Amino acid sequence: MLDAGICNYVVITYGHSALWGGGMAQMLFQMTRNEAAFGHFGAVGGYALAARRAMHEFGTGPGTWQRIASGQRKWAALNPISVMGKKPLAEEDYFKAPMAADPFRLVDICLVSDGGRAIIVTSAERARDLRQPAVLISGMGQQNPSREIGQARYMAGPTGAKKAGKEALQMADVSLKDVDACQIYDCFSYTVEITLQDYGFFGPGEGGDWLKGGTIEPGGSMPVNTSGGQLSEAYFMGLTPIAEAVMQLRGQCGDRQLGPQTQTKPPEVILASDNGGILQSHACFVLKKG
Amino acid sequence: MTYNDLTPTPDADSKPFWEGCRNHELLFQKCAECGEIRWPPGILCPRCHSQEVEMVQSGGKGTIYSYVIYHQPFHPEFADKVPYVVAIVELEEGPMLITNIVECPHESLACDMPVQVHWDDVSEECTLPKFRPA
Ligand SMILES: [Zn+2]
Repeated sequence: MLDAGICNYVVITYGHSALWGGGMAQMLFQMTRNEAAFGHFGAVGGYALAARRAMHEFGTGPGTWQRIASGQRKWAALNPISVMGKKPLAEEDYFKAPMAADPFRLVDICLVSDGGRAIIVTSAERARDLRQPAVLISGMGQQNPSREIGQARYMAGPTGAKKAGKEALQMADVSLKDVDACQIYDCFSYTVEITLQDYGFFGPGEGGDWLKGGTIEPGGSMPVNTSGGQLSEAYFMGLTPIAEAVMQLRGQCGDRQLGPQTQTKPPEVILASDNGGILQSHACFVLKKG
Repeated sequence: MTYNDLTPTPDADSKPFWEGCRNHELLFQKCAECGEIRWPPGILCPRCHSQEVEMVQSGGKGTIYSYVIYHQPFHPEFADKVPYVVAIVELEEGPMLITNIVECPHESLACDMPVQVHWDDVSEECTLPKFRPA
Protein backbone atom coordinates (compact mmCIF):
# COMPACT_ATOMS: atom_id res chain seq x y z
CA MET A 1 0.00 0.00 0.00
CA LEU A 2 2.86 2.34 0.85
CA ASP A 3 4.75 1.43 -2.32
CA ALA A 4 1.63 1.82 -4.45
CA GLY A 5 1.04 5.27 -2.99
CA ILE A 6 -2.41 4.36 -1.64
CA CYS A 7 -1.44 5.79 1.72
CA ASN A 8 1.55 7.28 3.49
CA TYR A 9 1.15 5.66 6.89
CA VAL A 10 -0.28 2.37 8.14
CA VAL A 11 -1.22 2.08 11.80
CA ILE A 12 -1.33 -1.48 13.16
CA THR A 13 -3.17 -1.65 16.47
CA TYR A 14 -4.25 -4.11 19.09
CA GLY A 15 -6.40 -3.21 22.06
CA HIS A 16 -8.49 -5.33 24.36
CA SER A 17 -10.27 -5.20 27.71
CA ALA A 18 -9.59 -8.91 28.04
CA LEU A 19 -9.91 -8.97 31.82
CA TRP A 20 -13.49 -7.66 31.62
CA GLY A 21 -15.05 -8.94 28.42
CA GLY A 22 -15.69 -12.55 27.49
CA GLY A 23 -14.31 -12.05 23.99
CA MET A 24 -11.04 -13.90 24.42
CA ALA A 25 -12.67 -16.85 26.22
CA GLN A 26 -15.31 -17.10 23.48
CA MET A 27 -12.69 -17.04 20.73
CA LEU A 28 -10.60 -19.71 22.41
CA PHE A 29 -13.71 -21.79 23.09
CA GLN A 30 -14.60 -21.70 19.38
CA MET A 31 -11.12 -22.97 18.51
CA THR A 32 -11.86 -26.29 20.18
CA ARG A 33 -15.63 -26.50 19.76
CA ASN A 34 -15.55 -30.12 18.57
CA GLU A 35 -13.35 -31.22 21.43
CA ALA A 36 -15.19 -29.45 24.27
CA ALA A 37 -17.08 -32.66 25.03
CA PHE A 38 -13.74 -34.13 26.12
CA GLY A 39 -12.87 -31.09 28.23
CA HIS A 40 -10.35 -29.74 25.72
CA PHE A 41 -10.43 -25.95 25.57
CA GLY A 42 -8.60 -23.20 23.79
CA ALA A 43 -4.92 -22.65 23.32
CA VAL A 44 -3.53 -23.88 26.65
CA GLY A 45 -4.44 -27.52 26.03
CA GLY A 46 -3.31 -27.37 22.41
CA TYR A 47 0.14 -25.98 23.20
CA ALA A 48 0.41 -28.36 26.18
CA LEU A 49 -0.13 -31.27 23.75
CA ALA A 50 2.64 -29.85 21.55
CA ALA A 51 4.98 -29.39 24.51
CA ARG A 52 4.36 -32.94 25.75
CA ARG A 53 5.18 -34.37 22.33
CA ALA A 54 8.37 -32.28 22.33
CA MET A 55 9.30 -33.73 25.75
CA HIS A 56 8.94 -37.18 24.21
CA GLU A 57 10.75 -36.46 20.95
CA PHE A 58 13.72 -34.37 22.03
CA GLY A 59 13.79 -34.45 25.79
CA THR A 60 12.76 -30.92 26.75
CA GLY A 61 10.58 -30.11 29.78
CA PRO A 62 9.97 -27.85 32.76
CA GLY A 63 13.72 -27.61 33.51
CA THR A 64 14.15 -25.75 30.21
CA TRP A 65 10.96 -23.70 30.46
CA GLN A 66 11.84 -22.50 33.95
CA ARG A 67 14.90 -20.74 32.52
CA ILE A 68 12.69 -18.97 30.01
CA ALA A 69 9.98 -17.96 32.50
CA SER A 70 12.45 -16.85 35.20
CA GLY A 71 14.68 -15.07 32.67
CA GLN A 72 11.83 -13.03 31.28
CA ARG A 73 10.67 -12.20 34.80
CA LYS A 74 14.06 -10.57 35.43
CA TRP A 75 13.48 -8.28 32.47
CA ALA A 76 9.97 -7.50 33.75
CA ALA A 77 11.50 -6.34 37.04
CA LEU A 78 13.21 -3.55 35.05
CA ASN A 79 9.96 -2.52 33.32
CA PRO A 80 7.78 -0.26 35.50
CA ILE A 81 4.60 -0.99 33.53
CA SER A 82 4.98 -4.78 33.51
CA VAL A 83 2.23 -6.71 35.31
CA MET A 84 4.51 -9.23 37.04
CA GLY A 85 7.68 -7.19 37.54
CA LYS A 86 7.36 -6.87 41.31
CA LYS A 87 7.03 -10.62 41.82
CA PRO A 88 10.36 -12.47 41.50
CA LEU A 89 10.30 -15.92 39.90
CA ALA A 90 13.27 -17.90 41.20
CA GLU A 91 13.76 -21.53 40.20
CA GLU A 92 11.97 -22.81 43.32
CA ASP A 93 9.06 -20.38 42.77
CA TYR A 94 8.62 -21.76 39.27
CA PHE A 95 8.40 -25.36 40.45
CA LYS A 96 6.02 -24.41 43.28
CA ALA A 97 3.58 -22.71 40.88
CA PRO A 98 0.26 -24.52 40.43
CA MET A 99 -0.10 -26.99 37.58
CA ALA A 100 -2.62 -25.70 35.02
CA ALA A 101 -2.55 -28.19 32.17
CA ASP A 102 0.32 -30.59 32.82
CA PRO A 103 3.07 -30.19 31.53
CA PHE A 104 2.30 -26.45 31.89
CA ARG A 105 2.32 -24.65 35.20
CA LEU A 106 0.50 -21.35 35.54
CA VAL A 107 3.84 -19.53 35.08
CA ASP A 108 4.35 -21.17 31.64
CA ILE A 109 1.22 -19.41 30.37
CA CYS A 110 0.91 -15.83 29.10
CA LEU A 111 -1.04 -13.16 30.92
CA VAL A 112 -4.53 -11.91 30.09
CA SER A 113 -4.29 -8.14 29.88
CA ASP A 114 -6.21 -4.93 29.46
CA GLY A 115 -4.45 -2.48 27.21
CA GLY A 116 -3.01 -2.18 23.76
CA ARG A 117 -0.09 -1.39 21.50
CA ALA A 118 0.31 0.18 18.08
CA ILE A 119 3.02 0.51 15.48
CA ILE A 120 3.17 2.93 12.57
CA VAL A 121 4.64 1.80 9.26
CA THR A 122 5.75 4.28 6.61
CA SER A 123 8.51 4.60 4.02
CA ALA A 124 12.09 4.75 5.29
CA GLU A 125 12.43 8.18 3.71
CA ARG A 126 9.43 9.60 5.58
CA ALA A 127 10.42 7.86 8.79
CA ARG A 128 13.79 9.61 8.78
CA ASP A 129 12.07 13.00 8.70
CA LEU A 130 9.86 12.24 11.71
CA ARG A 131 10.46 13.11 15.34
CA GLN A 132 11.05 9.52 16.49
CA PRO A 133 14.20 7.59 15.51
CA ALA A 134 13.52 5.32 12.53
CA VAL A 135 13.57 1.52 12.72
CA LEU A 136 13.82 -0.41 9.45
CA ILE A 137 12.01 -3.60 8.53
CA SER A 138 14.87 -5.34 6.76
CA GLY A 139 13.52 -8.86 6.50
CA MET A 140 10.24 -10.72 6.76
CA GLY A 141 9.28 -14.37 6.49
CA GLN A 142 6.11 -16.28 7.00
CA GLN A 143 5.08 -19.91 7.04
CA ASN A 144 1.71 -21.31 8.00
CA PRO A 145 1.51 -25.09 8.45
CA SER A 146 -2.23 -24.62 9.07
CA ARG A 147 -3.30 -28.15 9.99
CA GLU A 148 -5.31 -28.32 13.17
CA ILE A 149 -3.43 -29.58 16.18
CA GLY A 150 -5.08 -33.01 16.31
CA GLN A 151 -3.74 -33.83 12.84
CA ALA A 152 -0.45 -31.98 13.14
CA ARG A 153 3.05 -33.43 12.88
CA TYR A 154 4.88 -30.21 13.67
CA MET A 155 4.20 -30.07 17.42
CA ALA A 156 7.81 -30.83 18.30
CA GLY A 157 9.08 -28.86 15.29
CA PRO A 158 9.98 -27.92 12.76
CA THR A 159 7.18 -25.38 13.08
CA GLY A 160 6.56 -22.54 10.64
CA ALA A 161 9.39 -20.72 12.44
CA LYS A 162 12.03 -22.70 10.57
CA LYS A 163 11.20 -21.47 7.09
CA ALA A 164 9.94 -18.06 8.19
CA GLY A 165 13.14 -17.36 10.13
CA LYS A 166 15.38 -18.44 7.28
CA GLU A 167 13.50 -16.25 4.79
CA ALA A 168 13.56 -13.21 7.06
CA LEU A 169 17.32 -13.51 7.72
CA GLN A 170 18.02 -14.01 4.01
CA MET A 171 15.97 -10.98 3.02
CA ALA A 172 17.80 -8.88 5.61
CA ASP A 173 21.13 -10.37 4.50
CA VAL A 174 22.16 -11.14 8.08
CA SER A 175 22.89 -14.35 9.98
CA LEU A 176 22.03 -15.34 13.55
CA LYS A 177 25.49 -14.09 14.59
CA ASP A 178 24.42 -10.56 13.65
CA VAL A 179 21.31 -10.68 15.85
CA ASP A 180 21.69 -8.71 19.10
CA ALA A 181 18.39 -9.66 20.79
CA CYS A 182 15.10 -11.46 20.14
CA GLN A 183 11.50 -10.56 20.91
CA ILE A 184 9.72 -13.89 20.59
CA TYR A 185 5.95 -14.36 20.66
CA ASP A 186 5.57 -16.17 24.00
CA CYS A 187 2.01 -17.35 24.46
CA PHE A 188 3.72 -20.15 26.43
CA SER A 189 7.25 -20.72 27.64
CA TYR A 190 7.55 -23.69 25.26
CA THR A 191 6.73 -21.42 22.30
CA VAL A 192 9.93 -19.48 23.03
CA GLU A 193 12.00 -22.67 23.09
CA ILE A 194 10.61 -24.17 19.87
CA THR A 195 10.85 -20.81 18.05
CA LEU A 196 14.50 -20.20 19.02
CA GLN A 197 15.25 -23.86 18.19
CA ASP A 198 13.61 -23.63 14.77
CA TYR A 199 15.44 -20.34 14.06
CA GLY A 200 18.65 -22.32 14.61
CA PHE A 201 20.02 -20.89 17.88
CA PHE A 202 20.40 -24.46 19.19
CA GLY A 203 19.61 -28.03 18.17
CA PRO A 204 16.58 -30.05 19.30
CA GLY A 205 16.82 -30.67 23.03
CA GLU A 206 19.84 -28.39 23.51
CA GLY A 207 17.72 -25.46 24.70
CA GLY A 208 18.21 -26.23 28.39
CA ASP A 209 22.00 -26.00 28.06
CA TRP A 210 21.83 -22.96 25.79
CA LEU A 211 19.68 -21.12 28.33
CA LYS A 212 21.87 -22.05 31.29
CA GLY A 213 23.67 -19.22 33.07
CA GLY A 214 21.25 -16.49 32.07
CA THR A 215 21.73 -16.38 28.27
CA ILE A 216 18.44 -14.53 27.72
CA GLU A 217 18.53 -12.41 30.90
CA PRO A 218 19.96 -8.96 31.67
CA GLY A 219 23.71 -9.39 31.23
CA GLY A 220 23.21 -12.35 28.90
CA SER A 221 24.61 -12.92 25.42
CA MET A 222 21.20 -13.17 23.67
CA PRO A 223 18.55 -11.12 25.47
CA VAL A 224 15.01 -12.41 24.82
CA ASN A 225 11.69 -10.68 25.57
CA THR A 226 13.24 -7.68 27.25
CA SER A 227 9.94 -6.14 28.41
CA GLY A 228 9.10 -9.33 30.30
CA GLY A 229 7.15 -10.51 27.26
CA GLN A 230 3.62 -11.86 27.31
CA LEU A 231 4.55 -14.14 30.20
CA SER A 232 5.48 -11.24 32.49
CA GLU A 233 4.77 -7.82 30.93
CA ALA A 234 1.35 -8.00 29.22
CA TYR A 235 -0.40 -9.88 26.42
CA PHE A 236 -1.12 -7.82 23.31
CA MET A 237 -0.78 -10.61 20.73
CA GLY A 238 2.01 -10.01 18.18
CA LEU A 239 2.23 -6.35 19.17
CA THR A 240 4.01 -7.08 22.48
CA PRO A 241 7.17 -8.44 20.82
CA ILE A 242 7.32 -6.14 17.81
CA ALA A 243 6.65 -2.94 19.80
CA GLU A 244 9.42 -3.89 22.25
CA ALA A 245 11.82 -4.52 19.35
CA VAL A 246 11.10 -1.07 17.93
CA MET A 247 11.43 0.71 21.28
CA GLN A 248 14.73 -1.07 22.04
CA LEU A 249 16.20 -0.09 18.66
CA ARG A 250 15.14 3.51 19.32
CA GLY A 251 16.88 3.43 22.69
CA GLN A 252 13.69 4.31 24.60
CA CYS A 253 13.46 1.46 27.10
CA GLY A 254 14.61 3.11 30.32
CA ASP A 255 16.04 0.76 32.95
CA ARG A 256 15.74 -2.27 30.67
CA GLN A 257 17.46 -0.60 27.70
CA LEU A 258 19.83 -2.97 25.92
CA GLY A 259 23.40 -1.70 26.02
CA PRO A 260 25.93 -0.93 28.77
CA GLN A 261 23.33 -0.36 31.51
CA THR A 262 22.04 -3.95 31.23
CA GLN A 263 25.47 -5.38 30.33
CA THR A 264 24.22 -6.36 26.88
CA LYS A 265 25.12 -5.47 23.30
CA PRO A 266 23.77 -2.12 22.12
CA PRO A 267 21.16 -3.35 19.61
CA GLU A 268 21.56 -2.90 15.87
CA VAL A 269 19.56 -5.96 14.74
CA ILE A 270 16.58 -7.50 16.57
CA LEU A 271 14.58 -10.58 15.54
CA ALA A 272 10.85 -10.50 16.36
CA SER A 273 8.25 -13.22 15.92
CA ASP A 274 4.50 -13.82 15.94
CA ASN A 275 2.42 -17.01 16.03
CA GLY A 276 -1.20 -17.83 15.31
CA GLY A 277 -3.50 -20.69 16.23
CA ILE A 278 -1.75 -23.66 17.81
CA LEU A 279 1.61 -23.21 16.07
CA GLN A 280 -0.42 -22.99 12.85
CA SER A 281 1.05 -19.77 11.52
CA HIS A 282 4.35 -18.01 12.05
CA ALA A 283 5.82 -14.67 11.06
CA CYS A 284 9.39 -13.46 11.61
CA PHE A 285 10.78 -9.93 11.26
CA VAL A 286 14.33 -8.67 11.18
CA LEU A 287 14.36 -5.07 12.42
CA LYS A 288 17.39 -2.78 12.17
CA LYS A 289 18.31 0.55 13.64
CA GLY A 290 17.42 3.11 10.96
CA MET B 1 -23.45 -21.69 19.94
CA THR B 2 -24.57 -22.53 23.44
CA TYR B 3 -21.77 -22.16 25.92
CA ASN B 4 -22.84 -24.85 28.35
CA ASP B 5 -23.97 -27.62 26.03
CA LEU B 6 -20.71 -29.36 25.36
CA THR B 7 -21.90 -32.44 23.53
CA PRO B 8 -20.89 -32.55 19.86
CA THR B 9 -23.24 -30.97 17.34
CA PRO B 10 -22.91 -33.22 14.27
CA ASP B 11 -23.08 -31.64 10.82
CA ALA B 12 -23.75 -33.36 7.50
CA ASP B 13 -20.11 -34.51 7.32
CA SER B 14 -19.71 -35.74 10.90
CA LYS B 15 -23.19 -37.26 11.40
CA PRO B 16 -22.21 -40.81 10.33
CA PHE B 17 -19.30 -40.76 12.79
CA TRP B 18 -21.44 -39.71 15.78
CA GLU B 19 -24.25 -42.10 14.82
CA GLY B 20 -21.65 -44.86 14.65
CA CYS B 21 -20.48 -43.97 18.16
CA ARG B 22 -24.01 -44.53 19.49
CA ASN B 23 -23.71 -48.10 18.14
CA HIS B 24 -20.19 -48.40 19.59
CA GLU B 25 -18.63 -48.34 16.14
CA LEU B 26 -15.79 -46.04 15.05
CA LEU B 27 -16.70 -45.20 11.45
CA PHE B 28 -14.44 -43.22 9.15
CA GLN B 29 -14.60 -42.03 5.59
CA LYS B 30 -12.26 -43.88 3.24
CA CYS B 31 -11.50 -42.39 -0.15
CA ALA B 32 -12.76 -44.84 -2.80
CA GLU B 33 -10.11 -43.59 -5.25
CA CYS B 34 -6.84 -43.56 -3.27
CA GLY B 35 -7.75 -45.38 -0.05
CA GLU B 36 -6.94 -42.50 2.34
CA ILE B 37 -8.85 -42.86 5.63
CA ARG B 38 -9.59 -39.32 6.70
CA TRP B 39 -10.41 -37.33 9.82
CA PRO B 40 -12.06 -34.91 10.27
CA PRO B 41 -14.75 -35.93 7.79
CA GLY B 42 -15.37 -33.81 4.70
CA ILE B 43 -16.68 -33.84 1.16
CA LEU B 44 -13.27 -34.09 -0.55
CA CYS B 45 -10.29 -36.38 -0.10
CA PRO B 46 -7.46 -34.12 1.15
CA ARG B 47 -4.97 -36.29 -0.77
CA CYS B 48 -6.56 -36.73 -4.23
CA HIS B 49 -9.68 -34.49 -4.12
CA SER B 50 -12.00 -37.34 -5.03
CA GLN B 51 -15.56 -37.13 -3.71
CA GLU B 52 -16.10 -40.90 -3.88
CA VAL B 53 -16.22 -42.28 -0.40
CA GLU B 54 -16.96 -45.49 1.50
CA MET B 55 -17.24 -46.00 5.26
CA VAL B 56 -14.83 -48.24 7.13
CA GLN B 57 -14.87 -49.33 10.76
CA SER B 58 -11.79 -48.91 12.91
CA GLY B 59 -10.70 -51.73 15.19
CA GLY B 60 -10.42 -49.11 17.97
CA LYS B 61 -6.72 -49.72 18.63
CA GLY B 62 -4.06 -47.05 18.58
CA THR B 63 -1.32 -45.23 20.48
CA ILE B 64 -1.15 -41.99 22.47
CA TYR B 65 0.53 -39.37 20.26
CA SER B 66 0.44 -36.77 23.03
CA TYR B 67 -1.52 -35.99 26.19
CA VAL B 68 -2.22 -33.24 28.68
CA ILE B 69 -3.49 -33.53 32.25
CA TYR B 70 -5.99 -30.74 32.99
CA HIS B 71 -5.62 -29.56 36.59
CA GLN B 72 -7.62 -26.35 36.08
CA PRO B 73 -11.19 -26.56 34.82
CA PHE B 74 -11.52 -24.21 31.85
CA HIS B 75 -15.31 -24.64 31.94
CA PRO B 76 -17.76 -25.07 34.85
CA GLU B 77 -18.89 -28.45 33.43
CA PHE B 78 -15.45 -29.84 34.24
CA ALA B 79 -15.02 -28.33 37.71
CA ASP B 80 -15.57 -31.66 39.48
CA LYS B 81 -13.64 -33.71 36.90
CA VAL B 82 -10.09 -32.38 37.34
CA PRO B 83 -7.52 -33.78 37.07
CA TYR B 84 -8.44 -35.49 33.81
CA VAL B 85 -6.55 -36.49 30.69
CA VAL B 86 -7.02 -35.21 27.15
CA ALA B 87 -4.98 -37.01 24.52
CA ILE B 88 -4.42 -37.28 20.81
CA VAL B 89 -4.81 -40.95 19.94
CA GLU B 90 -3.40 -42.12 16.62
CA LEU B 91 -5.51 -45.04 15.43
CA GLU B 92 -3.92 -47.97 13.60
CA GLU B 93 -5.99 -47.00 10.54
CA GLY B 94 -4.47 -43.48 10.50
CA PRO B 95 -6.92 -40.92 11.95
CA MET B 96 -5.83 -38.97 15.02
CA LEU B 97 -8.60 -38.26 17.54
CA ILE B 98 -8.69 -35.77 20.39
CA THR B 99 -10.19 -37.79 23.22
CA ASN B 100 -9.89 -38.73 26.91
CA ILE B 101 -7.73 -41.45 28.44
CA VAL B 102 -9.60 -43.22 31.24
CA GLU B 103 -8.85 -46.10 33.60
CA CYS B 104 -5.15 -45.26 33.61
CA PRO B 105 -3.06 -43.96 36.54
CA HIS B 106 -1.62 -40.61 35.45
CA GLU B 107 1.93 -41.63 36.34
CA SER B 108 1.84 -44.49 33.83
CA LEU B 109 0.76 -42.30 30.91
CA ALA B 110 3.31 -42.06 28.09
CA CYS B 111 3.50 -40.97 24.48
CA ASP B 112 3.32 -43.94 22.07
CA MET B 113 1.55 -46.07 24.73
CA PRO B 114 -0.94 -48.58 23.21
CA VAL B 115 -4.61 -47.85 23.93
CA GLN B 116 -8.01 -49.13 22.87
CA VAL B 117 -11.43 -47.55 22.57
CA HIS B 118 -13.63 -47.35 25.67
CA TRP B 119 -17.22 -46.25 24.99
CA ASP B 120 -18.78 -43.69 27.31
CA ASP B 121 -22.57 -43.41 26.88
CA VAL B 122 -22.89 -39.89 28.29
CA SER B 123 -26.59 -39.54 27.35
CA GLU B 124 -29.27 -41.28 25.30
CA GLU B 125 -28.25 -39.20 22.29
CA CYS B 126 -24.50 -39.15 22.68
CA THR B 127 -21.71 -41.67 23.13
CA LEU B 128 -18.13 -40.45 23.34
CA PRO B 129 -15.21 -42.59 22.12
CA LYS B 130 -12.69 -42.52 24.96
CA PHE B 131 -9.60 -44.70 25.32
CA ARG B 132 -7.92 -46.84 27.97
CA PRO B 133 -4.65 -48.78 28.13
CA ALA B 134 -4.67 -51.76 25.74
ZN1 LIG C 1 -8.19 -39.89 -2.20
